[in-house]
Amino acid sequence: MESSELERFEAVVLPHLDAAYTLARYLTRSDHDAQDVVQDASLRALRHFGTFRGAGSGEGRAWLLAIVRNTAYTWQRRHHGDTLTTEFDEERHSEAAADQHPEAALVAQGERVALRRAIDELPPEFREVIVLRELEELSYKEIAEVAGVPVGTVMSRLSRARRRLEEVLCAETEDC
Amino acid sequence: MTHPAFEAQLDAYLDGELAAPDAAELEAHLRACPDCSRLERRRRALSAAVREQVLRFPAPDTLRARVRSAVRADLNRPAHRRSHWPALAVAASLAVVAVGSWQVAVRRATSDALAEQVLGSHVRSLMPGHLTDVVSSDQHTVKPWFNGKLDFSPPVSDFAGRGFPLVGGRLEYVGGRPVAALVYGRRQHLINVFLWPSERGRTGGRPVTTQQGYHLLHWTTPAYSYWAASDLGLPELRDFVALLQRGDSVAAAPAADRAP
Repeated sequence: MESSELERFEAVVLPHLDAAYTLARYLTRSDHDAQDVVQDASLRALRHFGTFRGAGSGEGRAWLLAIVRNTAYTWQRRHHGDTLTTEFDEERHSEAAADQHPEAALVAQGERVALRRAIDELPPEFREVIVLRELEELSYKEIAEVAGVPVGTVMSRLSRARRRLEEVLCAETEDC
Repeated sequence: MTHPAFEAQLDAYLDGELAAPDAAELEAHLRACPDCSRLERRRRALSAAVREQVLRFPAPDTLRARVRSAVRADLNRPAHRRSHWPALAVAASLAVVAVGSWQVAVRRATSDALAEQVLGSHVRSLMPGHLTDVVSSDQHTVKPWFNGKLDFSPPVSDFAGRGFPLVGGRLEYVGGRPVAALVYGRRQHLINVFLWPSERGRTGGRPVTTQQGYHLLHWTTPAYSYWAASDLGLPELRDFVALLQRGDSVAAAPAADRAP
């Protein structure tokens, strides 16, 4: 434990705040909750930093995301009295979908909205594997560590999640 | 190959997670099976769509600021603030992890009971809230704090000028008696110094013990029996002990240290 541990902690954790926030945002489906989750997770990470043995940036990301994921599940239980639900929240969703869309991208908008909505509607254990794989580009092994399940489970969840998204996309674009 | 199993294989293949022989077999199947190759195209399109069109959420600047300040605030909570030691929480969490395996080690090593007690006190002190009873870098605050709590008045010096600031003190119970524990810092390391009046003709233990990554140095002066415990490197810990010994000899002239 040479030099400043705080600096080392910040070097490991801060570069992955975008990934942390994205995962938290998809799991909680709320900007506000996601911020609280990430802050809480960062403090948990700080307290367990002594157990972090990784050196590479990738290890730091998977390690932090695992904490974010567990924090999000705990958060949901504590503050909403349930596990992460799969209900669709029209208001929240519209917020997320109402981002800036250039005129030229109007055609894609239907598909985009449908996709985002479909991801939000996935059960959380499917949602997280999609986010971790497609957005964060984690390996199956890393996803398994983050989600705390065997690699085989990651593989089957990812596949089932994609099948569901594909069905949605199919219906939207009528191109299957 | 059942259909869902094939899908999962296909996904693993597209994710670059399939072993080479399996991938070759799957590619051969894709060439031969129009249905499956249609599925492959759909999957590729889906992945591309998700990657291009699904939102990443950059952490807002306010969140970055919140995390930074929360981390600093956490390190300065009352249990930690006293030490002015940013990494204390880290050291403490390490100690919590270490204590389990340490207890096993203690059961094995029964030869040096006093060293075990000192080590136990040291490890326990690293847990949140256990480090200090009196928090001060001022020796003139720490020393009088022991008045009435011990039957001796321990010599207390601050070595901040030499890179070993006094953090505080607390009461401990070692070797069947209350003793003084002084806490010093060295970067993110902590040093516990235990001392009590030395008893003639009794040696407390070996001069140097290393257990579970902690070094224990033991020495006696005519007045006191000392133990220093830390995860600090042995050379630096010896430097610190040398400072202490000089401090003790100044405080309790005539000097007649018996160094380790």
